[in-house]
Amino acid sequence: MEYTKNQMMAVTLSRQIEDGKAYIVGTGLPLVGATLAKNTHAPNAHLIFETALFEGNPQEVPTSVSDLRINYQASVLWPQYRYFGFQSIYAKRGLIACGFLGGAQIDPYGNLNSTSIGDYFHPQTRFTGSGGANGIATYCDTIIIMKHEKRRFIEKVDYITSYGWGRGPGDRARVGLDPKRGPRAVVTELGLMRFGEDCRMYLAEYFPGVSPKQIQENTGFELDLSRAVEARPPEAEVLDILIHKVDPLRLMI
Amino acid sequence: MNTDTKVMSAEAAVSSLISDGDCLAIGGFVTNRRPYALVREIIRQKKRNLYIEGGPSGGDIDMLIGAGCVSTIIVSYIANSGYTQVCRRFREAVEQGAIQYDDYSLDVQTIVYHGAALGLSYVPVKNMLGSDLVNLWGISEADRKKHPKLPDKKFVIQEDPFNPGSQLCLVPTPKIDVALIHAQLASPDGTFRISGAQFQDLDIAIAANKTIVSCEELVSDEELRRQPELNSCTGLCVDAVVPASYGAHPSQCFNYYDYDSRFFIDYDNASRTQEAFDRFIAEYVDACPTHADYLNKLGAARLLKLRIQPGYGYTPGLKRK
Repeated sequence: MEYTKNQMMAVTLSRQIEDGKAYIVGTGLPLVGATLAKNTHAPNAHLIFETALFEGNPQEVPTSVSDLRINYQASVLWPQYRYFGFQSIYAKRGLIACGFLGGAQIDPYGNLNSTSIGDYFHPQTRFTGSGGANGIATYCDTIIIMKHEKRRFIEKVDYITSYGWGRGPGDRARVGLDPKRGPRAVVTELGLMRFGEDCRMYLAEYFPGVSPKQIQENTGFELDLSRAVEARPPEAEVLDILIHKVDPLRLMI
Repeated sequence: MNTDTKVMSAEAAVSSLISDGDCLAIGGFVTNRRPYALVREIIRQKKRNLYIEGGPSGGDIDMLIGAGCVSTIIVSYIANSGYTQVCRRFREAVEQGAIQYDDYSLDVQTIVYHGAALGLSYVPVKNMLGSDLVNLWGISEADRKKHPKLPDKKFVIQEDPFNPGSQLCLVPTPKIDVALIHAQLASPDGTFRISGAQFQDLDIAIAANKTIVSCEELVSDEELRRQPELNSCTGLCVDAVVPASYGAHPSQCFNYYDYDSRFFIDYDNASRTQEAFDRFIAEYVDACPTHADYLNKLGAARLLKLRIQPGYGYTPGLKRK
């Protein structure tokens, strides 16, 4: 069975979603993964967007969190400030299972940069900035989507847009954040990383055709490989739904 | 019955209500219901030295930056998502140091706009704590003090007086001079009705010193007052009503039209260099002195293809790549 790296990522993201729980979803692959989950094992998952569009059932892949495609069969289109209130209250109550984030750089503790490369005041490359990411990282558990490159997985990011575990246990509380929330997983085109008791990233799964050594070679810091297992490939029927129903225009996959 | 009218052309609204150096906040969200017709008029009139309260910014703000209208932007996001992941004129302006900028998170910008609409001088949040959004100030306190419109401090971190030991980030609310909104319906007295997602529009309309509303359809005051429960805002908060059908093009407008992917792709290419951008603006802004000229340039067939399909709320099968 043939599948692309992005398709394997979308399937892996989809597998992180449990039926009946609520997820904060952004644009790109997380949307594809979440839509795939709703079309397969998690029809009752609730998708929430930072635009305050709640529980939509997109039939076509939306290109942004404000895309009209997200409104389809949504429960409510709130003014945006309502979302932020909901996020801070209901994350604390455990109703939001997690939010999905992306970034340009990540460190071993899941601190994320989506602002700029180089000096913030004279950046070599400027990105969009936080968007809703910082707020999601403030209040919720997160799953992070990254391109797996040595220059992106680095010991210290150029700018912390979204706080992860700081530099280790206790740091979230020290800066004023909920110590029980934080980064839970990182999904790349090579595998799935999780975070240990020491708050450091470790390799949990490597994708078929990828070796743990290859993942370490593409990571700019030392990754614990001792717990890694091979991920199972996409199931044929899941792949079929992904390609023919979720993103037939191949906008994201 | 009210006999005053706030209906005017985009040209009259922009020339009478927006001054160089003003703080502008712009409604909609990234690629949805952005008031592009008003933005094109600002470019046409060569407004300068604007301070933009970005929020969920789209290509419209990128056009203002590329056209040299902006000197300061407070930003949390700026993209034509799905087409341009980081707006290119913004990016170049920041990378070349041609613009003053500071960063918040989108949450914080949204909350402070709501705070501003409640008449508050600041809003306490948990957001940004620990991150470089608080460690680094894009605009220093000294430069803020020199700026006529910016608050002196980006924020103040303080202990929560009601929960000792808990830190809060106190963020000042912006003083918005002019809000630009695109609504589906508006009436001559300024009452407007947004359908679909409201985003931050009502907050910036209430908070701003002046508000310009462009609308898909101008209807009578009596018509909107038949169902006040559906209306978004009283005309008391509105200074100008500008009829502009397809006024949010190339972005989406709930119940009316989808985004124009071809336009976003063309803009993505054009905004790669200043020269190509300048040609693009010459073609779509300068060579189209009125909104009607702009619509004629695009052509009826192209615009009609974007009409949403009722029941879906978007245009199913629209060519998007």
